Amino acid sequence: MKEKIAVLMGGRSLEREVSLKSGERVFGALTELGYRAIGLDVTPDLVETLRRERPDAVYIALHGKFGEDGTLQEVLEFLGIPYTGPGVIASALAWDKSLAKRLFAEKGVPTPPWVTFTSGAFKEMGAATALDLVPSVLGGFPVVVKPTEQGSALGLTRVDDAPGLPDALLTALSFGDSALVERWVQGRELAVSVLDDGAGGGSRVLPPVEMVPRSGLFDYTAAYTQGETVYYCPARLSPDVAAEVVRLAAECHTLLGCRDVSRCDMVVDDEGRPFVLEVNTSPGMTTTSLLPMAAEAAGMTFQQLVDTLARAALDRVE
Amino acid sequence: MGTARVVFDKWDGRYATRMGGVRTSAVRDLFAAASRPDVISLSGGMPDIRRVPVEAVNRATREALKHQGAAALQYGSSEGRVQLRQTIVGLMGESGVRLGIDDVIVTAGAQQGLDLIAKVFLDPGDTVICEGPTYVGALQAFSAYEPRIVHVPLDDRGMDTDALEEVLRSVGPRGAKFIYTIPNFHNPAGVTMTPERRRRLIELSREYDIPVVEDDPYGRLRFEGGHILPLKALDCDVIHLGTFSKVFAPGMRLGWMAAPRPILAKVLLAKQSADLCGSAFTQAIAEAYFTGTGWRHVLADLTRAYRERRDAMLAALEEHFPPEVTWTHPEGGFFVWVTLPPFLDTKALLAEAIDLGVTFVPGADFTMDGSFRNCLRLAFCYEQPEHITEGIRRIAAVIDDKLELYRAFAAAGVVPAVQRADAQEGGRAR
Repeated sequence: MKEKIAVLMGGRSLEREVSLKSGERVFGALTELGYRAIGLDVTPDLVETLRRERPDAVYIALHGKFGEDGTLQEVLEFLGIPYTGPGVIASALAWDKSLAKRLFAEKGVPTPPWVTFTSGAFKEMGAATALDLVPSVLGGFPVVVKPTEQGSALGLTRVDDAPGLPDALLTALSFGDSALVERWVQGRELAVSVLDDGAGGGSRVLPPVEMVPRSGLFDYTAAYTQGETVYYCPARLSPDVAAEVVRLAAECHTLLGCRDVSRCDMVVDDEGRPFVLEVNTSPGMTTTSLLPMAAEAAGMTFQQLVDTLARAALDRVE
Repeated sequence: MGTARVVFDKWDGRYATRMGGVRTSAVRDLFAAASRPDVISLSGGMPDIRRVPVEAVNRATREALKHQGAAALQYGSSEGRVQLRQTIVGLMGESGVRLGIDDVIVTAGAQQGLDLIAKVFLDPGDTVICEGPTYVGALQAFSAYEPRIVHVPLDDRGMDTDALEEVLRSVGPRGAKFIYTIPNFHNPAGVTMTPERRRRLIELSREYDIPVVEDDPYGRLRFEGGHILPLKALDCDVIHLGTFSKVFAPGMRLGWMAAPRPILAKVLLAKQSADLCGSAFTQAIAEAYFTGTGWRHVLADLTRAYRERRDAMLAALEEHFPPEVTWTHPEGGFFVWVTLPPFLDTKALLAEAIDLGVTFVPGADFTMDGSFRNCLRLAFCYEQPEHITEGIRRIAAVIDDKLELYRAFAAAGVVPAVQRADAQEGGRAR
């Protein structure tokens, strides 16, 4: 019998349902691979259960707050249990889209112009009086408004004119204390996954996936409803654009200090210029998820993908 | 208490596709996390069963066994025991509906009635007209038979019959299988359909030849205002669902259906395949319980308690909720429906409310299309008045925090200042 791996899933985040689906698939794959897998939800007795079960590693299939923002990673470091995916700093950096974008911009990684507002800026400083500046700062409408710290595109709105901006901000800020207003880039939406080969063997970028949502906006419904989005893998890109996209995904992976896996979401505009939107450190593993799709295009089964990630964590045992 | 260990469904992928369409509550898992004893529950519509004297039930049970022992422990008739149906005829008579015992069958709660009605009337794709919002259990029961559900809005006078007429005009005569309504102390909206609207609903039902399903679990729990005749009293073709869950105890699993006899014949066939017959044992207990006047005192005591709790909730809402929020003023039943400014999502608020130790049900749970995201349902039936007050105070804190942001926007003039009580007329005017 192989090592014991606890798959962490569910949690109380808004992405619970998706996480449960990811977790169940991962659990199934680990079991088939011969690991002793157990499924664990995030409940008040999680830490107690982890100490009792003493897994050799934790597979993080959580999405959203606590699972993806560094909180759980910090707890697992403290408990001395190795886990899949990026560590505390990379998780926290990627989770805060505003910080990540700032880092990208500083290092010359193209990212659409944006402004960040915290609810405090509105409540304490009257920042709402300056919303009229948004179009000139960002170069006009449309823009996308989204919570700074949220996965799965929850609370995301596309805004086409100035009157729509306050409502979109209020919606985004109902999911958290900070919101991004980002220039909308018209073009192809891509997800580019990076997978480490383990044991310091370097990274490889998986074939880019292109998402074409029927509604025109890759939001929560489009991402998780079968038939709402058409996927192309590999993405329909010219060779030099494809190469640039791959280079950028690898650069973001390194810039944020990711390990094991990351998924870089980008847009390529009509002139073929790529822009990085964000990096996910706990990509979905459901039947419609992008990372497994990319792995498959690279000739890797779902089981092999899960095994690679599990082995990477197990290899970190001191 | 939730344990961390997850148990998987290894049969997933092998269930009938129709089960995929069955409405489940997206917030059920959130509630699982909220089962701590210190959490104030303003979410569940549970009767305050602590007020039903166990001794009275004990006595009824002994009587049932003593006088009906063999029959009570045997299979019974699918229609239900004659004496209990007589009791139901009596109860319905008090509400103004004249029936014979052959017009009534006993069901396992009104919920079974909903399932059986759907089973005998609905083919996949058939249209059902419901209020929006409406009872989650009805959506669950109907959706298993894969209908198209069309919602008709409500206001403080009940189902909007003008809006209903529009829907009927678009579907045409016999264009829907039935119109489902909860006329008294609506779940979740807390409103009651006026006599004028009831008459109009019956007219429309006749004009378009689409039967009405009247679900009336709360009718006898009136705190103020005069009794309003049930739809069944206006038209004998109405399919009426009643229950003992609120006038006695949900644990008995007893309800009834009063309907035209051809419909009852079909329903009985469906019921036989579901359960052969209801429990003769609990029916015999209920018969004994409803003999004499003891049950009336218990019901009066329950109604008094619910009234006190409603008053506590309305007073707390008035005191703690911000002016941008409106709510309904129920004259009976269990529920208050709250409408927040449109940019607030009550599902997102629920997570924060649970952190503060209080639960409610987000409005989006009460329709098929997930509208009413900015609404929520509060139940005042279960908690003590002082806990209700505290629960409302906690929810108000969550809402206030969000509204502070809105007010900052309003102060900058980029969103309109919200007017009080413009969302639902009469919301708090009374």
